Amino acid sequence: MTSEDLRSEANFDPAEVAEVAEIEAAPSGGGHTVPAGRRADPERDDAPRPRRRFELLDDTGFDEVPPKYRRFYRRWQGEADALAPNEVLCPVCKVVIRSARELRPGDRVYCMPCMSRLEVVRAESGRLEAIVRY
Amino acid sequence: MGAPMSLDPSELHARDHSGFLAEVQSFEFWFQSVEGYLHDRPYGVAPETPMPELEPERRRALVATLSTYCVGEVAALEGASGMIGFAPNRATKIFLATQAVDEARHLEVLLHRLHELGEDDAEATFEARSNPHLLAFRDRLLRCVAERDWLASVFAQNVVLESMEFAAFHSHSRTADPRTAQMLAGILKDERRHIGFGENDLGRHLRRHPEDRARLQTLKRELDPLVLACFEDSLARLGIAASERPDVGRLYLESVARLGIAG
Repeated sequence: MTSEDLRSEANFDPAEVAEVAEIEAAPSGGGHTVPAGRRADPERDDAPRPRRRFELLDDTGFDEVPPKYRRFYRRWQGEADALAPNEVLCPVCKVVIRSARELRPGDRVYCMPCMSRLEVVRAESGRLEAIVRY
Repeated sequence: MGAPMSLDPSELHARDHSGFLAEVQSFEFWFQSVEGYLHDRPYGVAPETPMPELEPERRRALVATLSTYCVGEVAALEGASGMIGFAPNRATKIFLATQAVDEARHLEVLLHRLHELGEDDAEATFEARSNPHLLAFRDRLLRCVAERDWLASVFAQNVVLESMEFAAFHSHSRTADPRTAQMLAGILKDERRHIGFGENDLGRHLRRHPEDRARLQTLKRELDPLVLACFEDSLARLGIAASERPDVGRLYLESVARLGIAG
């Protein structure tokens, strides 16, 4: 994905565009993970913290979508299953949805196993949750 | 007719909604999805899975429950295939065609398991052994389909029936013998698509036509007792603890709450 692609998506924030642009400019082999705490603009103290990047493993054991999409999903292990910052639970079919970047309120994600479009929100508990956007 | 666009998977969550729907409702998506969990599993069970010996009482309970499931699957097979004729667009017709194939497979694997349990005449006898509440539900669903009532059909089949089946099969699979559990696990993977299709299709409609909620609430009040009683009975017969049974209705109740038709 290029920075131009991201700019065309309303739900991607400017800080991330800056972050991806840095990755694009980096020498080849520059990883997909940006160290946590790195700023998009170090001159600005109030600049939003860039999102962390996550490398999604190909095989999560989830086999309900075509192979090329399987790394975006994994089975939920129940209430004790602690979700990573790039994960959110689909409220419709209870599958864990994964993203290559840290998720934040307002992000859109898709649940392919149940065909739902979801928006990430911050619940009262402080946890990230997903709600269906029909 | 254009083929659905298959976008770069690295951009999965950034794609537009219409492109996403075109892909996930396609036959190609369905085919690549089911291949992952049905390949090398004749009748939904890995061949090396041992054939368990069941106590007579447990076997009788399982036969009765699988018979009830068969009625649900026949209802969904006839419902989904009938709905193709009045589905609102091409993508929906194709999705329903894949659902009809799923339901046919479910019926086939359930009948096969009944044969394994010694029910040689399962096809002729499952309806007589089934729960009467589900038979009444089936008749009501098929009346919605015969009347070409899209909203009522999607609600009855893909929201009510499918979500109750999903929850019941999930509960059952946790205590079932290995062959039955594997077969049910494969069915559950299909059901995820069916419940999601129903809720999202209705949700999009109700966003544009909120006035239709009242009609669906009336239908819900008619259908709820039939389906809830049916699956409660089946799980009780299987010895699933009463404390676990509220879970059976939870998925369904959450779905109707999101759609704004609870109560």
